[in-house]
Formats: sequence, C-alpha cells, structure tokens
Amino acid sequence: MRATRLVPAMRIGLIAGLALVFIVTIGFVETVARREVLTDLLSLSTTMIGMVAVLTGVVAARPTADAGEPLPGTAALRGAVAGLVAAVVVTLFAAFSSAVDLSHMFPNLRGHAFDTVTFGLDLPVAAVVLAATGAILGALGGILRALPPLPTRMVVTAGIVVVVLSIMEQVFRVMLTELGLRDVARFFYASGALTVPGAVVVAILAALGTWLARAPQSPVRAQVQRVRARTDRRTSVILYVLVGLALLILPQLIGRFPSDVVGNAGLYLLLGLGLNIVVGYAGLLDLGYVAFFAIGAYSVALMTSPQSFLDLQWNFWLILPLVMVLAATAGIVIGAPVLRLRGDYLAIVTLGFGEIVRLLFLSDWLKPWTGAGQGVLGIPGPTLPALEVPSKDPESIYYPILFFCVLGAIVAYRLANSRVGRAWNAMREDESVAEATGINTTNYKLLAFALGAVFGCLSGALFAAKIGVVFPHSFEIIVSITALAVIILGGMGSIPGVVVGALVLVGLPELLREFDEYRLLVYGAVLVAMMLLRPEGLVPSAMRQRELHESDEPEDQYDEEAGVDTGRPAVSGGAA
Amino acid sequence: MTVEQREPAATSAAPDQIVVVERLTKTFGGLIANKDIDFTIPRRAIVSVIGPNGAGKTTLFNQISGYYQPTHGSIVFDGVNIVGLAPNDVAELGIGRTYQNIRLFADMTVLANVMVGAHARLKSQWYQIILGLGSVKQEEEATRQRARELLDLVGLPRRYERELAKNLPYGEQRRLEVARALAGDPKLLLLDEPTAGMNPGETARMTQFIGRLRDELGLTILLIEHDMKVVMGVSERITVLDYGEKIAEGSPEEIRSNPRVIEAYLGKGAANA
Repeated sequence: MRATRLVPAMRIGLIAGLALVFIVTIGFVETVARREVLTDLLSLSTTMIGMVAVLTGVVAARPTADAGEPLPGTAALRGAVAGLVAAVVVTLFAAFSSAVDLSHMFPNLRGHAFDTVTFGLDLPVAAVVLAATGAILGALGGILRALPPLPTRMVVTAGIVVVVLSIMEQVFRVMLTELGLRDVARFFYASGALTVPGAVVVAILAALGTWLARAPQSPVRAQVQRVRARTDRRTSVILYVLVGLALLILPQLIGRFPSDVVGNAGLYLLLGLGLNIVVGYAGLLDLGYVAFFAIGAYSVALMTSPQSFLDLQWNFWLILPLVMVLAATAGIVIGAPVLRLRGDYLAIVTLGFGEIVRLLFLSDWLKPWTGAGQGVLGIPGPTLPALEVPSKDPESIYYPILFFCVLGAIVAYRLANSRVGRAWNAMREDESVAEATGINTTNYKLLAFALGAVFGCLSGALFAAKIGVVFPHSFEIIVSITALAVIILGGMGSIPGVVVGALVLVGLPELLREFDEYRLLVYGAVLVAMMLLRPEGLVPSAMRQRELHESDEPEDQYDEEAGVDTGRPAVSGGAA
Repeated sequence: MTVEQREPAATSAAPDQIVVVERLTKTFGGLIANKDIDFTIPRRAIVSVIGPNGAGKTTLFNQISGYYQPTHGSIVFDGVNIVGLAPNDVAELGIGRTYQNIRLFADMTVLANVMVGAHARLKSQWYQIILGLGSVKQEEEATRQRARELLDLVGLPRRYERELAKNLPYGEQRRLEVARALAGDPKLLLLDEPTAGMNPGETARMTQFIGRLRDELGLTILLIEHDMKVVMGVSERITVLDYGEKIAEGSPEEIRSNPRVIEAYLGKGAANA
C-alpha cells in the first residue's frame, strides 16, 4: 500500500461525512425528501446524498503531486475508502442524535431527520447498508475519475440531464402535452418526476449526444467544432433562428408558472448584463447595484400607477426613454463620488449607496410620495395601445422581458468588442497604464456606471410592470448579491455566462421551491465551489476568441477533447 | 552609430527641439527627486538619461508622461506646456511610454493590448458602437490590421496574437510593450530600461530596433538605460543625473570622458564600454 494514499482519502471522506451531517442537521435534506427524481424509486434527498458519495470518490481519486494519476484499481480503492469513512461519520452522528436529543440546538433536527439518510432502517442494519452504499458509490466515483475523459463526460452528462429534466418536470410535461404528445409525456413523467423507463431513455440519449459531439470518430463532431469556432456561418444562422423561434413560442409551450419563472430569470439576466458591464468589463465592484433596480421600478410605479401622487398614468412604453435618462443620471450621480475609490473601498461605498436608496424609499420623509412601507400599488402592465391584450400575465410580460434581454445582450456584445470595451478592460487590468495609453479613465468609469444603471433600471421597470406593485423590501441587498452571483457563476465578462447564470441561479431555485429557504446556503456553496474548481465561470468569456472571428490563422489553439486550451507560454524562438 | 540623420521634414530653423524642460523640480516631502533640471530633446534624436539608482530618472519620466506634476518648472512638448495635463491628455498629444517593470494588460490578448494602445487615435463613440454603425466596424478592422502590422514591426510572431499577454516570454513582453506604445502614433517615445533582464543577444536586437524606430518611423526617443553598451551605441546625446541633479550632458564621447560622470556613476562601466 505504498502509493495508494489512503490517509488523504480518509480525510476527504471525513470532510464529506461532516458536510452531509451539516446539511442533514439544518434540515436541508429532509426538505427535499418529498421531491422525487425517479418516480417511486429515488427521492431528490437520496440522489443528493448519493451524489455527495460519488463526488467524494472523485475527489479522493484525484491525482497527487508526487504519484500522479492513480491506476483505476487504486482510484476505486481510494474512492471506496473515502465513501466508507463518510458513511461511518454519518452513521455515528445518526446514532448520536438518536441517543441524545439535540433538537434544542438544531431546531430542524427533529426525530426523523436522519431517516432519509438511514433509509428508515434500524441503526445496526442501516449502518451496514450505509457503509456498503458509501463504499460502492465512492468506488464508482473513483473509477469515474480514472476513466478516460470521454466516457466520464458521457456518464456525468447523462446523470446531470436526468436530474435536471426530472426537476423541471413542470416545464417539460406541459411542453410535451402542449405539443400534442400526451402519450410521450405520460411515458416520461409520472407524479412529478421522470419514470424509470423515461430516465433510461433520457440517459441513453444524453450519453449518445455527448458521444456524437465529442468522440473523435463521430460524424457530427467536426460540424460542432466548426460552429463553435464560428467558421460555419450557415449552421450557426440556422441554430440562431431555431433558438429564436423556440424563445418566441416558449410561454405558449410551458404554461403560466414556468413562464413566470423564466420572466424572473430574464429580469436577473438583464441585471446581470448591466452589472457585467460595471464589474466584468470595467472592473468596478459595485455591491449596490440594486439601487438602480429600485430607481427603475419606482420611476415606472410613480409615473404609471393611478395611485401615485403624480397621477400621470402614462403608458409604460412612453416613459421608458425618460426612465433610461433618469437611470443614466442616477448612474453618474452615484458613480461620480466613488471615482477615486478602488477595490474594497468602492465595494463598501456602493454597498452603502444601495442601502441608502432602499431606506429612502422606506423612509417616512418620502412617505407622501413613495408610500414608504406600503409601496405603490396598481401599476399597469406594459400595454401597447394597438394591442388589446392582457399585458401583465406571465405569458405576456415574457415578451417585453425577452425583447430587452436580447437588445441588452446585443448592446453589451457590441460594447465589449469595441474600443470602449477594450478601454474598460485595460482600466480593470491597470488603471494608470490605461491612462498613459490615452484612456480618460474618469469618463470611462462614468460611462460604465451610466450604462450599467440603464440596464438595472430597465430591469426594475419591467419588474414593476410585471408584479404591479413595488415595496421597498423588494430592493434589499440580496438583489445585488444575486446579480453578482449570476455573473460570477456564468463567468465574469461573458454574455452567454450571464444567461446560464441567470437560468441556473434564479430559474432553477424557483422551480425547486424547497430550496427557497436555503437559497443563501446554496449560493454560498456554489460560489465557493466555483472559486475552487472553475474560477473563470461556467461559460467563460472567450478572451482569445474575441479577436479571432476575422482571422485567417490556422486553427491550432484549442484542444477541445481534453477541455484544456494550450495556454502555456510558448517557447521563444522568434527571429528578430 | 552617431550618424546624423537629417530628414527633409525637419525645420531649417535652429535645432528643432521637441521637448524643452526648464528648471524642473520634483520633491516628495523632504526628498528632492529632481532639482532644477534643464534639458532638451531635439526632434528625431535618441537621447538617453543615465545615472545611478535613485538618481531621479524615472521621476523625470513620470513628469513628462503626466503621472507626476512637477513641484515647479516647465515641460514644453511640441510647443505645448504639458504641466498640469492628465496622463491621458499627454498621451493624446503624442507621448508613448514603456515601463521599467513591464506593465502589460496581463489578462488581455496580445492583439488587444496593441489595440488598446491605439485608443486615443480612434473616433468611435459609445453610442455609435451601440448602434453598430458601419464606420465603427471599419475603424475596428483597420485598427486590427494596424495592430498586426505593429506586431510584425516589433518582431512578435503572428501566432502569439491571440495569446494572453501574461503568457508571453519575457523578451516578447518587452516587444509587446513597445508595440502598444507605438499604436498610439507617438511623436516621442519614452523607453524605461527597455533591455532590462535581456540576454546579450536580445539586448543587441533591441538596440538595433531602437535605431530603426527613429530611422524608419521618424520617432524621437528618450531612453533610460543601465546597459552602457546600449547607451553608448544608440544615443546621440546623454544626460546624466545624480541625486536628482543634472551633472553632465553631451555626446557619448564627452560623457565617457567626463570626470564627474566617471566619479558619480560610470567608473567601471566606462572601462568596459
């Protein structure tokens, strides 16, 4: 047992076990126990615990600095040991909590909290079952780590797709039914989750898809890569058109509640796009971004609602230009005093500004105008005079949100790939050198704040029109944090990243209502994991790709297969 | 290398000075970094500033490029007094610079670094960019082409253009810094120890390159340099600073034989050069 490294594996198992104990103790696991992933077979809580065990195995089998990549046997052994240790930790704590009443310390640890972990079995039996499951799943994780990249990717993709499709049952079931595929819907879904045969089909399809996109001998792979490298114009255009059409008919397909969820994700998408300009491009860490969201919402509320003191009852679309001008002004007013601040100081001051704006709307001082805690009610939807359609229901408000998201993405994309975007990036990298290359950093900071504010205000305006009421408590710091988390998760400076971040971080939790209570915990865990595993974000901005679409260079930069680009410094050999 | 290059464009009136510095003084608290420095740079000349560490060379540079405001004195660049101007305004007037310890935009691509350098020369405004005007695209394409040409000029292989600046080897980073400075179409280029940390081969190439910049692009170059081979080989005039004061000025030959300079700084270096 020279190079098997079992002690580190045990340590990882210990950490995983403690993490499991933690999420059980706070009641997280129990909350999701009623949600199923596979009908009548697998609950979400069991899946979560199983995934923790597998992940433990994966981590335990990672290559070490001295011994390198472990052999499959070693990897499996390490994974098994780690999984076993995790199981032992959980069993011990389950035994402890059943012997000693800890419920006064952990209010969520009532009686049956550990039943989900012990499968409702008696402790001695459960201990054996748990240990065996832990070891097996851990070993699986270890083997998964030791497999070549392609099979691993196929298995992981299949697993993720099954879980996500199952969680999004509400969306897909309605969608299939709407498409007239009632029988298909019945085959895949039953009582809120994927059926077992459905899951098998989905898993096979997902694995097959991964293989087609990745395997060297696959007929589709070359095409996929050409689309990625943007050399195949035609296929990209077809894809864009298809995605566009899908987006247009989406609300009709998925029904009311999912449309509402997508709408909320869209609002955060818009916030993310704006904050991305300020933080991602210009590098100005703004923690008070919610201020602009609030200003946008209140502007619309006051100018459109019949219950506002202004009693103007203007049309939403008519006042939008005015809201945008107001927003840009607000951005400059808030931006100007903090121009000289950098980094942490800027973050703290903007955090303060965000709170100030909220407290102003909440204050008695402004009560005659903003209604303080009672807010402003009766905000009409964004009606178009020509269209006599309801505009506030989720399926309708979806369209203005979609419109502004697309518009915002185009604007952000153009700015990012221009003189302005480069100036922002340069400022973020080294402010004084940026100045010495002729960039007026004051102006560019203000521009970033103003444009970011316009995005934030638009999102706020749509928010007000969507829910019809504004209260100060809708504009708490959590909005800023979520918007920031969206761009960190997606990848700083990346527009596709913002889309993914908004859908994952805002859309998914709303579909998983159970998570709501633990939203901050999940955000925290996700952000820590991101910083450790993938600090560049899920869909990182293609820094390198930025300059290359007009390029005539041969494509030798990327090694897609391994998912690693050859970013190492090339050896100097340049003849002068 | 002290061949006088008289170009047709040069004015016939007395030596045309692109930079005139008069009685320049900079103090930091009680420390006098530059004291009553007078010096001039003729147009299309290569002028070096030398002196022991802490002599105030970089302080002088930072005042010319607008980072520091002089305590008193004046700096006239191409007929404009630049005292009081912000660095970006100075850059726009046509002064480009490199840094003693390389300061590239590390997480931007090589090509983007050069394109940022062209910032002050570009006209696209943010609202034009948002509207996606054709002129914006044209300018962008022209800038990209020009940046590639500059990469060729400084001898950076094309295959590096999409690489992040931080991934380049040291010598190439120095070249990239020069390319970025050149992208702003400067009239005066300030090079702060351009051969620091280079091996003899790279140093020789850089020295040659500095000569070419003046000869081919018609730039005026102000150089801070420690390597006496470079200084003596490339510059027409040398200004020597010591403890913030100018102690000598003249041609390489004059400096080489100036007893004050030998005493203050050159010493061993003079024998080697």
